[in-house]
Amino acid sequence: MSNHKIELTINGRQYSGDVEARTSLADFLRDDAGFTGVHLGCEHGVCGACTITVDGRAVRSCLMLAVQANGATVVTAEGLAAEDGTLHPVQQVMMEEHALQCGFCTPGVVMTLASLTGEGKQCSQAQIEGAMSGHICRCTGYQGIRRSAARLAYDAMGDSAQQGGDA
Amino acid sequence: MKPAPFDYYAPATISEACQLLSEASGGATVIAGGQTLMPLLNLRMSQPFILVDINNTAEMKGISAVDGGIRIGPATRQYEVLESELLVERLPLLVEAVRHVGHHQTRNRGTVGGSIALGEPAAELPACAVALGATIDIASVRGTRQVPASEFYLGPFMTVLEPDELVTGITFPAWPAGHLPLFSELAQRPGDFALVGVVGALALEAGKISRAGIAWMAMGPTPLKATAAEQLLLGKSLAEIDPQAVAEAAVAETAPFDDKRTSAEYRRTVGARLLARALRELTAQGEAA
Amino acid sequence: MTNMNAPEEKSAGILTGKYIGQRVHRKEDPRLLTGHGQFVDDVSVPGQLHVAFTRSPVARASIVSISSDYAREVPGVHAIYTQQDLADFNVDMISFFLASPDVKTTPLADGRVAYVGEPVVMVIADSRAIAEDAASLVEVEYAEETPLITIDDARHGAPVHPGREDNIAAQMGEEEIDEDLEALLQAAPHLVTHKVVHQRISQSPMETRGVLADPEGPKELTLYITCQSPHMVERWTSLALGKPDMAIRVIAKDVGGGFGLKNHPWKEEVAVILAALKFRRPLKWIEDRYENLIGANQAREQEMTLQVALDNDGKLLASHGDYSCNNGAFPQLSECNIAVHMFVWGAYKMPAYGFLTRGWYTNTVGYAAYRGPWAMESLVRETALDVAARRLGIDPIEIRRKNLVTLSEQPTESCMQIPLEDVTPAECLEKLLGYFDVDAFRREQAEAREQGRYLGLGIAAYIEPTGSAGAIATMTGELAQVRIEPTGKVTATMSTHSQGHGTQTTMAQIFADRLGVSYEDVSVFEGDSSRGGFSPGAAGSRQGVIAGGAAILAADKLAEKVRTLAAHLLQVEAAAIAIDAGQISVAGNPDKSISLGELANIAYGEPDRLPPGMESGLEAQHRYQPPPMTFASAANACVVEVDRDTGFVKIQRWISSEDCGTPLNPAVVEGQVSGGLAQAIGMVLLEEVGFDERGNPTAATYKDYMMPAISDIPTFEFVHANTPSQSVGGMRGVGEGGAIIGAPTLVNAIADALAPFGEVEVNLPLTPAKLLSVMEGRDLTPPKVVAPVAVEPVAPAPVAEPVPAADATPAGPVVIDGDWKMILSTPMGPQEMQGHFETSGDNLSGYLSSPEGQMEFTGSVVNGNNLVFDLKVTKPMKITLKYNLLIDGDKISGKCKMGIFGSAKLTGERL
Repeated sequence: MSNHKIELTINGRQYSGDVEARTSLADFLRDDAGFTGVHLGCEHGVCGACTITVDGRAVRSCLMLAVQANGATVVTAEGLAAEDGTLHPVQQVMMEEHALQCGFCTPGVVMTLASLTGEGKQCSQAQIEGAMSGHICRCTGYQGIRRSAARLAYDAMGDSAQQGGDA
Repeated sequence: MKPAPFDYYAPATISEACQLLSEASGGATVIAGGQTLMPLLNLRMSQPFILVDINNTAEMKGISAVDGGIRIGPATRQYEVLESELLVERLPLLVEAVRHVGHHQTRNRGTVGGSIALGEPAAELPACAVALGATIDIASVRGTRQVPASEFYLGPFMTVLEPDELVTGITFPAWPAGHLPLFSELAQRPGDFALVGVVGALALEAGKISRAGIAWMAMGPTPLKATAAEQLLLGKSLAEIDPQAVAEAAVAETAPFDDKRTSAEYRRTVGARLLARALRELTAQGEAA
Repeated sequence: MTNMNAPEEKSAGILTGKYIGQRVHRKEDPRLLTGHGQFVDDVSVPGQLHVAFTRSPVARASIVSISSDYAREVPGVHAIYTQQDLADFNVDMISFFLASPDVKTTPLADGRVAYVGEPVVMVIADSRAIAEDAASLVEVEYAEETPLITIDDARHGAPVHPGREDNIAAQMGEEEIDEDLEALLQAAPHLVTHKVVHQRISQSPMETRGVLADPEGPKELTLYITCQSPHMVERWTSLALGKPDMAIRVIAKDVGGGFGLKNHPWKEEVAVILAALKFRRPLKWIEDRYENLIGANQAREQEMTLQVALDNDGKLLASHGDYSCNNGAFPQLSECNIAVHMFVWGAYKMPAYGFLTRGWYTNTVGYAAYRGPWAMESLVRETALDVAARRLGIDPIEIRRKNLVTLSEQPTESCMQIPLEDVTPAECLEKLLGYFDVDAFRREQAEAREQGRYLGLGIAAYIEPTGSAGAIATMTGELAQVRIEPTGKVTATMSTHSQGHGTQTTMAQIFADRLGVSYEDVSVFEGDSSRGGFSPGAAGSRQGVIAGGAAILAADKLAEKVRTLAAHLLQVEAAAIAIDAGQISVAGNPDKSISLGELANIAYGEPDRLPPGMESGLEAQHRYQPPPMTFASAANACVVEVDRDTGFVKIQRWISSEDCGTPLNPAVVEGQVSGGLAQAIGMVLLEEVGFDERGNPTAATYKDYMMPAISDIPTFEFVHANTPSQSVGGMRGVGEGGAIIGAPTLVNAIADALAPFGEVEVNLPLTPAKLLSVMEGRDLTPPKVVAPVAVEPVAPAPVAEPVPAADATPAGPVVIDGDWKMILSTPMGPQEMQGHFETSGDNLSGYLSSPEGQMEFTGSVVNGNNLVFDLKVTKPMKITLKYNLLIDGDKISGKCKMGIFGSAKLTGERL
């Protein structure tokens, strides 16, 4: 089994590691880098709990090898709030809308929402809700997640126009 | 649920990749986006000795206009299809189809070539490749070859690819500007494999259908081209299409299967309705025009 | 989403305050949203090793041999254990009710395997990946036998467990319908026979099971485990291990959902705990999703046939229910679900009801609870009522209006003698109908049908027993401990446990209001068995009701102390003291005031200034014992469209009208209801654990086990129809209701939509293929797997040679007098007791004693070797137990008739 040296940026800081080829990015982030907010709900890419952003795009960290993240910029749910503890707008809206209960799927949901609604992004409510179909939540019945998506959309009226961009 | 051990290589060139596959004598697996392979590795349903990662292989990426069509590198990510102005304009079917491939988060990592090479009979992109008449470029240390998509698939998850071969490109022929895409898929939830689906494109010349490509998802062991239905469409104006007859002809050419998701008879029954519905919508467009 | 058109009315007695009743932000959220929750896999301790299991690939076999030679050679492997290595612990795999199992249950397979996925061998290694490498190299040879997979297989096949007579895991009620009841059913103008088949469900909490067992020397054991109550796990583990001389501490700060699966440890967790004690290293096992879908206990898989007799007006006359559920091989509780029958007509005026209820052993993974374990009662009843309404040509709303018990008719008693004092399903229904315009919908439906579109309206009503305490050993009151710190901040420790329930929030709302402090100044701690006191945690929709009451009473005690102390210090009457926002003031005397922090400093640090006899500090606690049961009620409506071409169901609207008493936090209440409804939608349309004919699971990943996604769930509209309960604070439980009421509501809507085509068989899930089959009038479903289960003769396996009694025991007088050890198979599991009999001629006297106490019996007769006697009990309710026993040498056996609960078997032997 081959081992590999990797260097990557996680939540704004540089990390390096020596990983076995088979180590998933999720396991590296949890076990080596200490970002246990990356949750493993299925390890086969369906539940979405392990969603992070890699170079700005939301991906499943269980479906990527750590070695493949060499040189990448990774953000996890731990990396969103401001240094003074002020919640990221996505986190604030989700708290206000009671969009979580047990909180296990939550970091993944946060990351998809943050990747779609950050500065300069213009996602419609329908696009965001479409992307939310990539997350399984067993607790909430998605009610607060849907309300959050509506509030975070650039067009809270629910523009369903699908123009090019993916969501 | 952790993968069995393997060695990992990320070749910079196609020839390096081919060399690795050749030396592995069948013990290597290519990883592109990994959105299907990683679950199989994690579940230990796939246990290669060597993983050949083509994500660092620059010549495997990109969407470009080529002589006679559009070429897509296999390591091109699915989201890039959605953001490609070239494809939105020239092959709108691909753009629509990719919206239904997996989820937003897997499209950010998953690749066009991965989906094409996997050969899932219920998948969108293989059906598009067959419907649009794409050619699959294949390389190995033994040389290169080109296989029409309609001949590429042998059965569920089985293709003509030999263990030492690699898909290096998918070339879609040019379709006339303004051709009409046709896409209809029924899946239990967004991102699930299709229970049944149909994709296609119709080109019109002087108001008559001059070119038709239609293919089924989940209606047989491979994506299936609906040749008889295509023949029924050729030469007709949109208003002249008999959606029901075309749909019935298209279903007659299929060999759907029973599985735990649904029955062959459900697929036939609903498949015909999906195609007829899609054609009626096109006909309505024709009447409106 | 709360509907703005449906204002939250406050009935008299509904508690409200600055925080109580408000949509306060949750205390839990900042840590969970920023990835700082502490779930079991987020905890690591120095020196921990990892566990993986080798699991059985066959459903039924004896184990011929196990070889770990290759596995042991894998670098990084520390130990490999089989059941033999753990046998010395002699662990007792007790149920949630603390009863020993009916069938021998071991952490790892003991010579035989009885389901695919059963753990056979465990590997301890440096990492999970290495442990999995080695586990895959363990070689186990099996002598395979034909497995029994379905309930029907169990009825006819050879016993799953060698030595047992049959596959009946539990049984109550009468095998033959009572003659009088049968006469009522047959004489009725209408008799509807309605069958419901419920598929098997995986509870599927997003966090799978997992444990980190950390033995800290021989006398201390710390368990980090994902569970529904650390206290329950501590109690269970101590009892299962025979109350070892060891301090057991259980910690579970955040838990990613439980839903009944995590009530107490089971095979794998127990194996890890024992292995950690044996290997003397911290061991971690985190279940992966594949293991969770094949190896974690599952729920539902039940079928029920309900006969309902009605008169021509739709008035209920009589009913009989025949229920079966698949217990799997090693259920967490041998279950025949008596609660289904207790509550099936709970809120309806039903003159007569009888039942037969059975649980069956099969070669599948065992049974465990799932949110609303008795939910079948509402599903079968509410769907049967709609079938009846269609057959009689009555509106489904009218049939309910005719038969539901209204508030004005209470107090009364149900046909199963459940006292009803304040249930409101009829009132919830009327409130629902005030909000949803049924006539407008019927017009829309008729127009749509003309266009070939099929809309349907489903309505269902129910009551839910919540906040149960006092009748069952583990269903206790709740403890609140609260203190005002010298800083003036409030700290509380609770016996509650949240797996998303938000108890840190709701309890803080109560403390803030009752103590007159700001919500921000209250911290609530739970999730550690070393804090607070025993409670089963989240089980049976109970925490809001009981812990809420405890928090109110503890806070009030503490507030009283604050007032007494403040009055003393400020030299005013206690009645004049007011506390608000952490400030103590005196009515009519603005000059006199003191902050809570200053007061606390005095209370802790200046004992000389306290009134004589007052205990220093500002602390109080209360364990609240609520009424034995508190009912919640609801009525729901949903509107669907079923696609005529595809059979797909689109839910257009869903309205919940629920009486949850005082809503401590309406957002939390709606969250509980919504989550339950989503699970119900999954049950009706998507989810299914299936097996092939060899017992192989057919849904081993989330690609195949289809969990509802956001696209499957509509926006729920809420009509709050709250009336206060009789418990302190007026709360009613709300945890399970959505999961119970959702299924019949949706099934009824689908059946209404498809009524023009005929009845829809209620065989869940209602897949597009099944629904399209109804509309097409032909079968479009995939062919059923024909299970080639050879029907083997039912014969006890040749385990021990029966003692040839006739030869061994010389004929002689029957000896009755003396002490007997007896086991009664009850719905709560086997109850062990000791019988003392004394005869005098034909008269019999004596007593039965159990851990609950000793009871003398009356009305006793002896007839040869036949003993007949009665025993009156009051728990769980007032009934007379009628024993009829036979003595054969040193063995005793027979039946106990338990009133409405039917009969239970008794076996035993002379002491």
